[in-house]
Amino acid sequence: MFHNRTEALLLALPAAAFAAIVFLVPVVVLLSESFRSPAGWSLAAYWTFFSEPLNQAVFWRTLKLGLQVTAVSAVIGYAAAFAIVSLPPGSKGRMVGLIMLPLMISPVARTYAWIVILGRTGIVNQALHGLGLTDAPLRILFSETAIFIGLLQLFLPLMIISLISALENLPRDVVPAARVLGANWLQIFWKVILPLTREGLVIGGTLVFTGSLTAYITPAILGGSKVLMLETLLYQRVTVANDFVSASVIALILVVMSFATNLLLKRIATARART
Amino acid sequence: MSLRFPAALVLSLVILFLIGPFLIIVAASFSAGDTLAFPPQGFSLKWIAKVFTVESFRQSFVTSMILAVGGTLVALALGVPAAYAMSRYRLPFAETVRTIVSAPVIVPGIIVGLALLRYVVVPMGVPITLALFLAHTALVLPYAVRVVSASLANLRSDIEEAAILLGSSRLGAFFDIVLPNIRGGILAAFILGFVTSFNQVPVSLFLSGPGVRTLPVDMLGYMEIVFDPSVAALSSLLAFLSMGIVLAAERFLGFSRYV
Repeated sequence: MFHNRTEALLLALPAAAFAAIVFLVPVVVLLSESFRSPAGWSLAAYWTFFSEPLNQAVFWRTLKLGLQVTAVSAVIGYAAAFAIVSLPPGSKGRMVGLIMLPLMISPVARTYAWIVILGRTGIVNQALHGLGLTDAPLRILFSETAIFIGLLQLFLPLMIISLISALENLPRDVVPAARVLGANWLQIFWKVILPLTREGLVIGGTLVFTGSLTAYITPAILGGSKVLMLETLLYQRVTVANDFVSASVIALILVVMSFATNLLLKRIATARART
Repeated sequence: MSLRFPAALVLSLVILFLIGPFLIIVAASFSAGDTLAFPPQGFSLKWIAKVFTVESFRQSFVTSMILAVGGTLVALALGVPAAYAMSRYRLPFAETVRTIVSAPVIVPGIIVGLALLRYVVVPMGVPITLALFLAHTALVLPYAVRVVSASLANLRSDIEEAAILLGSSRLGAFFDIVLPNIRGGILAAFILGFVTSFNQVPVSLFLSGPGVRTLPVDMLGYMEIVFDPSVAALSSLLAFLSMGIVLAAERFLGFSRYV
């Protein structure tokens, strides 16, 4: 450990100054714009924004999709992570590689694939028609369902990876012990595994939830111009209507939600460290 | 312990869900048909070939490459000293510095792009290309600091203290002792930064103008107008490119140890 404070500051200053000037100042000014009105500071912009039914709908849809994707990815994530940690080491490594593989691929490419699958003449509609289940093609693309599927595919790997590391730290004998003592699988999960892997679930959940809230590509491709989420609404407000006030309101909502989720994560993590 | 049937089934379905769409994209890019479809109609390389003839793709590919390589290098030049200061010095306001430097990871990119457009590009006349470069650098900075910090934490600090006691200068100790030992971490940070910057869309959305566009933003625009398999072909090519980089890094450096 070196004690020269000037030297330390000189080393850290360029990065801190860069982030502050390029990032922090413009973003804070943008966010503060949502509280400004000709008469001074006010919450009028928020009132206007939320009195618009469309904006309300987009806000709730974003929140709802975020929660749904997080919940479903947690359920699938536990099942998949369980299966993976019980594999022998070699195939475990390969499986983790396969789960991580999509993370290297451009989200644009990954989302684009769903057009081929869910479109009017896509695989799903061909299969349904071939089986005689539908007469006319179903409209799956450009709906909340399509966005949900796209987001789930985008973020599920993050949940699985977080849960794998949590499950690997689970003491080996707690599950057999609970079983010997007569607990059924549901009780074992609820009373033993869930409390002991809470931290991994929270980390994965935060990544999935904030990722879904702030998604742009997925709603842009799979939601079209009608089924908007907060980021696509922001983009539309600026490019179509030049409406920077709504844009700054949405920006503040997004930042507050991301920060709140991350704070919650920190609290849960430190609460765990203390016990 | 081998897998029981339900576990194997769950795992196969998850893998199918995660990888399947990508395989479909790859298959569609070898189609001979004129529209994006699966199963592909016939086999041809014409869409792969077409990717290289689209002028805007070529231009935006170069833009994205410059941003990803240049932005990550600048982020490392800023981030390595900062990470060193935070791990080896009693840095005043260390928590504040850490928060400022890692904030870009929490704030959605679209907001950063909009803020730069509105308060830097328009009023100050800063060229869009420069703003784009700064935004991508800021975006990569948190990863650079985090990965290099982890690498420094794994390196015992008494080695460089010993070098200094033995007469090396502090700068000399950094370049001779520390830098060679965190090489792997720096490379890992570079690859992570490169992939993040190259695939990033929201931050670049507002920072585009005539002739200035990143590749993913260009692809988004293209697929809104044209519904042929060329975006699929381009996607497959890019996917193989980034997988190749990551696999090479894993093979030669054990990349996953650092991330």
